[in-house]
Amino acid sequence: MYLVADINVDICAATSCKLCTQYCPEANTILYSDNLGKEKGLKYGSAYVAVDRCKGCAQCVWVCDNMAKHHAITMTMIDQLPKAAITDRITYLDSGGTKAIAAPVEVA
Amino acid sequence: MSLDYVKFSPGFDKFMPKEYRDMVEHGPFGKKVTVSQMGSFKEILEEHPMCAGCAMTLFIRLAMISFPNPEDTITVGTAGCGRLAISQAAIPFVYGNYGDQSAVASGLSRGLRLRFGDKPKDVVVMAGDGGMADIGFSMTLHSWFRKERFTTIMLDNEVYGNTGGQESGMTNKGQVLKMAPLGKKFEKMDMVGMAKLAGCAYVATVVPNNPRRVESVIKKAVLVAREIGPTYIQAYTSCNIEYSIPTDKVMEDAKNVENDRYQFSEHLTEEAKHYLATRYGFKEYLPKPATATALPQA
Ligand SMILES: Cc1ncc(C[n+]2csc(CCOP(=O)(O)OP(=O)(O)O)c2C)c(N)n1
Ligand code: SF4
Ligand code: SF4
Ligand code: SF4
Repeated sequence: MYLVADINVDICAATSCKLCTQYCPEANTILYSDNLGKEKGLKYGSAYVAVDRCKGCAQCVWVCDNMAKHHAITMTMIDQLPKAAITDRITYLDSGGTKAIAAPVEVA
Repeated sequence: MSLDYVKFSPGFDKFMPKEYRDMVEHGPFGKKVTVSQMGSFKEILEEHPMCAGCAMTLFIRLAMISFPNPEDTITVGTAGCGRLAISQAAIPFVYGNYGDQSAVASGLSRGLRLRFGDKPKDVVVMAGDGGMADIGFSMTLHSWFRKERFTTIMLDNEVYGNTGGQESGMTNKGQVLKMAPLGKKFEKMDMVGMAKLAGCAYVATVVPNNPRRVESVIKKAVLVAREIGPTYIQAYTSCNIEYSIPTDKVMEDAKNVENDRYQFSEHLTEEAKHYLATRYGFKEYLPKPATATALPQA
């Protein structure tokens, strides 16, 4: 088992500062969805992690804690996530932004 | 080398894998994308074997987003960690033998000019400090003296990362590394000074803890190299493996190093400023209006 970044939508969608993805070394790993958050009646969309691309470096945690000061990201064992986004289930939207279907992760 | 090479052949689009479809339909080709839109569009570089948390990876990711015309860009690299990622991007990459990259890029950029005339085709060399300041030193310098019009970007991790930690000319004096157990005996080379001396039209030092600044220097360097002359960016891209930086402290290290020995600096010739202002609308380089005469003191 290994650690991946997990973003708390309730905290992130209060501001959705979009800082963490600018610092994640892995491309297209922290993505944005305008609906996440808004579906829950929160102000903004939220960042989320494509867990199959996350290498577990925790740089995003440092950025969210120390630069954004929002403390929305924690490192979590991948098999402890009730559901997560993976690249195959992510759609890029014509209007910009993405949409993901989060589902339980199957870890062999 | 044009938008056509990223389009589907008629009738084949429905058979293409999702990755490819996403790239054609939601990638950066033919549109302007910026660092602030990251996380909302398909990037041209993803999934490569560089180490977790590597600052060089982040820098390369930002560079790929910052190229003004990715569909008209060719990258040139050489042995070293960076090529493991650069070679995976959806734009052409030429692999020079270790140290040859600036010679390869010289031929390539001249050939492209002959073939395509005034239509800009951007050549960007990205290589490590060892490949550029040690083994490829003469070719790097000579390309500048010859005023070859391409961009040279040094991925300066201050070590030979890919081969397990030998000192390079860009390592700092006194630094102990796995394969430099007594510490380096000489000063870090002043490649920025040499780039200016050799006549580079744009020279900048940058650290990836400021993504928008990385974007701005890369855009300027690539644009200036189209017509004015050679351009050089030296980026601090730490090696968390050889310098034992915990991955969640890589940006903290970048900030400390920026404050210490890697302050942002930018040098442009007057010709480069004029070109950026008149051709590409960079307002900061427009000639300043004559200052109003000071009011008489009351
Ligand atoms: C002609 C030649 N000599 C030596 C090597 C072995 N080699 C591969 S990568 C490398 C060091 C790379 O260091 P640097 O250029 O600083 O890049 P980094 O890996 O640190 O990014 C060396 C010596 C080689 N591939 N070719
Ligand atoms: S830095 Fe934190 S608050 Fe900002 S977008 Fe990322 S997870 Fe959300
Ligand atoms: S842990 Fe590292 S790889 Fe994973 S999302 Fe955060 S910054 Fe990106
Ligand atoms: S060895 Fe160092 S420079 Fe190379 S990928 Fe790993 S962390 Fe980056």
